[in-house]
Amino acid sequence: MATDAKPSDDASFERVDWDALESEFGGLSRRQTAFLGAMAAFALGVAADVAVGGPLPLLGDPAPLDWLFRLTLLLGTFYVVLPLYDDPRMTRHYWRQFKRNTAAVISLGYLAVVFAVGTVGPTFLPRPELDLLARRQPPVFTSVAADVPTTCAGEVVNGMCHGTWQYPLGTNAQGHDMLHLLVFGMEVSMQVGLIATAIIVVVGTAVGTSAALFGGLVDEVSMRFVDLLLTVPTFFLFILIVYLYGGSLFLMILVFGLLSWGGVARLVRSEALQRSEEEYIRAAENAGASKAWILRRHVIPNVSNTVITAATLTIPFLILAEAGLSFLGLGDPTTFSWGQTIADGRGELAGAWWISTVPGVFLFFTVLAFNFLGDALRDALDPRSEV
Amino acid sequence: MGDEPLLSVRDLRTYFRTDAGTIRAVDGVSFDVRRGETVCVVGESGSGKTVASESITRLIPMPPGEIVGGEVVFDGVDLLSLSDRELREYRGGRIGHVFQNPQGALHPMHTVGRQIVEAIRLHRDAGKREARERAIDLLDRVGIPDAAARFDDYPHEFSGGMKQRVVIAVALACDPDLLIADEPTTALDVTIQAQILRLLCDLQEEFGMSVLLITHDLGVVAEIADRVVVMYAGKVMERGTVYEVLENPSHPYTLALLDCLPGRGGAMRPLGGALPDPRDPPSGCRFHPRCPHAVDECGAGDQPAMGTAGSPGHEVSCVYYHDGYDESAIRERRAADSNEGVGRADGGDGR
Amino acid sequence: MGMGLYVAQRVAWALVATFVMLSLTFGLLAVTPDAQQAQFAFQQAQEGASADEARETYQRVTGKDGPLFDRYKEYMIGMVTGDWGWSHTRSQPAIEAVADAYPYSLMYGIPATVLSVVAGIGIGLYSATHQYTKADYAGTFLAFFGVSIPNFWFGIMLILLFAVHLGWFPSYYDTSHGVWTLANAKQLVLPVIVLSTAAIASQMRYARAESLEYVHADFVKTARAKGASEWRVIRHIFRAASVPISTILVADILGLLFVASYLTEVVFQIPGLGLLSYRAITQNDTALVLATTLIPVFVAIVGNLVQDIAYTVLDPRIDYGDR
Repeated sequence: MATDAKPSDDASFERVDWDALESEFGGLSRRQTAFLGAMAAFALGVAADVAVGGPLPLLGDPAPLDWLFRLTLLLGTFYVVLPLYDDPRMTRHYWRQFKRNTAAVISLGYLAVVFAVGTVGPTFLPRPELDLLARRQPPVFTSVAADVPTTCAGEVVNGMCHGTWQYPLGTNAQGHDMLHLLVFGMEVSMQVGLIATAIIVVVGTAVGTSAALFGGLVDEVSMRFVDLLLTVPTFFLFILIVYLYGGSLFLMILVFGLLSWGGVARLVRSEALQRSEEEYIRAAENAGASKAWILRRHVIPNVSNTVITAATLTIPFLILAEAGLSFLGLGDPTTFSWGQTIADGRGELAGAWWISTVPGVFLFFTVLAFNFLGDALRDALDPRSEV
Repeated sequence: MGDEPLLSVRDLRTYFRTDAGTIRAVDGVSFDVRRGETVCVVGESGSGKTVASESITRLIPMPPGEIVGGEVVFDGVDLLSLSDRELREYRGGRIGHVFQNPQGALHPMHTVGRQIVEAIRLHRDAGKREARERAIDLLDRVGIPDAAARFDDYPHEFSGGMKQRVVIAVALACDPDLLIADEPTTALDVTIQAQILRLLCDLQEEFGMSVLLITHDLGVVAEIADRVVVMYAGKVMERGTVYEVLENPSHPYTLALLDCLPGRGGAMRPLGGALPDPRDPPSGCRFHPRCPHAVDECGAGDQPAMGTAGSPGHEVSCVYYHDGYDESAIRERRAADSNEGVGRADGGDGR
Repeated sequence: MGMGLYVAQRVAWALVATFVMLSLTFGLLAVTPDAQQAQFAFQQAQEGASADEARETYQRVTGKDGPLFDRYKEYMIGMVTGDWGWSHTRSQPAIEAVADAYPYSLMYGIPATVLSVVAGIGIGLYSATHQYTKADYAGTFLAFFGVSIPNFWFGIMLILLFAVHLGWFPSYYDTSHGVWTLANAKQLVLPVIVLSTAAIASQMRYARAESLEYVHADFVKTARAKGASEWRVIRHIFRAASVPISTILVADILGLLFVASYLTEVVFQIPGLGLLSYRAITQNDTALVLATTLIPVFVAIVGNLVQDIAYTVLDPRIDYGDR
């Protein structure tokens, strides 16, 4: 139950008052100083990129999307990773809860690999190029009729072309190495999942808390808008907007993020309202604390578990939506999304079965892993909620 | 009234298998309920009294619950050996149940009338009209004013006390021989509690049934019980008639329970310590870690066998009632304690 | 607040939502550069006209030369009266193209909906009442599988296995079969499976979670204590869980099926709404894209309305001031 929080058990990472615990310098804690420093460096980087308009020293030539991705990682580090690192006792407690769910532990491992490969891989791998000679090579240990590939890279035995380690997962009809496509696809899925979720969390929390804080007209209007967002099937708005404005991954992620925060906002608002009825909040109020201060210091930290869980469970939806749009050909033509690769293989099923199969397997397992993870997080972080 | 008791529970053991270990909620409980009498099972929350009462008709959730041993003989039939289908004839047909919380005990989306009619028609070959008439009659008898008009109301349109009356009507739908009432008044206002108890007493007489009442309230026991079973940590500590147990409490646990009450011997002393971990109960007497009279033998072996205290039907599971021990030690000590308590109270007044 | 007022309030909300969505799409269209206009300008330029003249001509012909508000008014009136624009790729009004296409969507959408509701709720209830048994774990696994598998890829995999490999079903939809023929039923099997898998999974998950709330409820114990059979007990649980289940039934299932059917139709080449929309997108037929994407939006709004009203019928306890 929400109300019977035992003070002794409640010293979780989200409730500890870091500002008070850490040595102050210049009125700010070390944590805040570091965060502001990192944000300033980020802003400087973006400004430099805009001003120069070309490649930057050290940074190369990041696209707007790369900047957003960095910002997402920055936020994730400061709001998820560091708090866990700072409170090993609570982290161990969560880990013990989490560990009981074997599927979720495996999922976490899998996602860590996908994240690492998807983030680092594309900077080292060459972009897949059209290679007419390497079209439709079968994966290693498999074979297809020799007339499927243009020229077989491996041995041809009895009219069957055998796969080689040169292309362990085969190639598609443009001669792109499937393994490379997979890695680039990981980058797309991770960017979509994480950036859009960051937007959802930030906007949803902001709207939810403002609605709870200001009440009245602000509450009414923003919650009606949330009703609308939740009523309308967002996938079709995605289609319409992406159709009208062209499918860049940057736009897609923005649209996903800006149309999907309704659930989080509603959750945060109701939690915030519920919390503000609780004794310790009243105590703070009686002590003369302003409502905004109470929201920032007590309410937002206390809803973070719920928000993190809800956010994790929206990631699979976003990844599937991007893959779906890319499958329809509405995706970003300059990226190598799994959905796009699957679409390319649709017409090749009779000959080159692996083109659709391989990225789909990874897409499926990535979505499955996020679902398992979200489910386990809900059990570990948020024992109150079911469903 | 035959010699054979209506219900005879023998060495009943109900365990719950959980990830954290096996919980021995009921661990060898025996008691009888004779025809027409009221038996009260008392004990702290968590002593296993509810599980014991629900094990009689196997209402505990299985899994994780499991009745691992013992027998429940009802009117000559061991209920534990029956198939589910056979058991259903007894549930509601001959044994009625009233639960603690009337708020949740009724289906929120069915009218109260429909719920009583369902109970009737599950066991009686009654037509709709006939069942409806009987349901209205039952509502009337449990004290629902204007019963015919309230027949089609939903549970949320009734107050807590009225809901409990409806639950009782459901339990009585088929004239049961035994009514099992699990803390039927705990969730109600004090004034309503008395009314519901009164109603239960009246109905028992009217329907000529036996009542097994689960409670932690010794006041209730004193008021309506014929006989009493005191439970602690899944074991029976003491049993006897209400006079024997309340006037001549013999087990240290019963004494401790009575000491918790205000207005007895001038002392209102809470019982120190907590219930043992049901996954790993202490050896010997379950109560010995909290018992002021514990001697070395109390911690050895299993729960002590029943010894008699004074009269033959008054049985106590305590080594002091075995041969070679002097049970009077318990009472003397207690008398001394009470005096001390009185003395302290006087000292307080003198200040 | 009485029930009449509550219903009126929900209807008003549905109208407002519709109005907002229409205005929003108008806004989106108004600020979008028109691909057809660019094309037209290109043709005119080739014929020697200036770009400005071309734009004026185009706008006059398409009615885009008036003040913004007039255009808005015209657009809204058109939408309300069923004038949804002209599909230039199909040379027919967009709404007629939709009318031609939707029977194909219903043909497999209705069986899939029925299947997913019945199977989803059935499995969910069974899973909840048999918690921690093997059947429950299997059901939960099925649910994770269903919500995680990308349905367009699932469709392709089914085609690969059952059509390409085993040859049991055709790999593309063939419109030449009659509606009530065996061949038509056969070619709808895979689409129905694809479409209902995700819907069954999400329905099952929800039904299981909601039923679990009641599996150990006191009234269930009361029912058992009355002597009710397990089957009757499950009915009691279902009746209580039906209210929360129904809250996702209409809207979510509709949404899910629409999204899923869009992709499914593209995979199987079924000429329903999804494929119509897809072709409109690839051929830059804005009026038709608009029509085919707005329809699911409106269906969802109406679905929500129906669901809100269904709620009042299902739950005797509802407090109309609550929402």
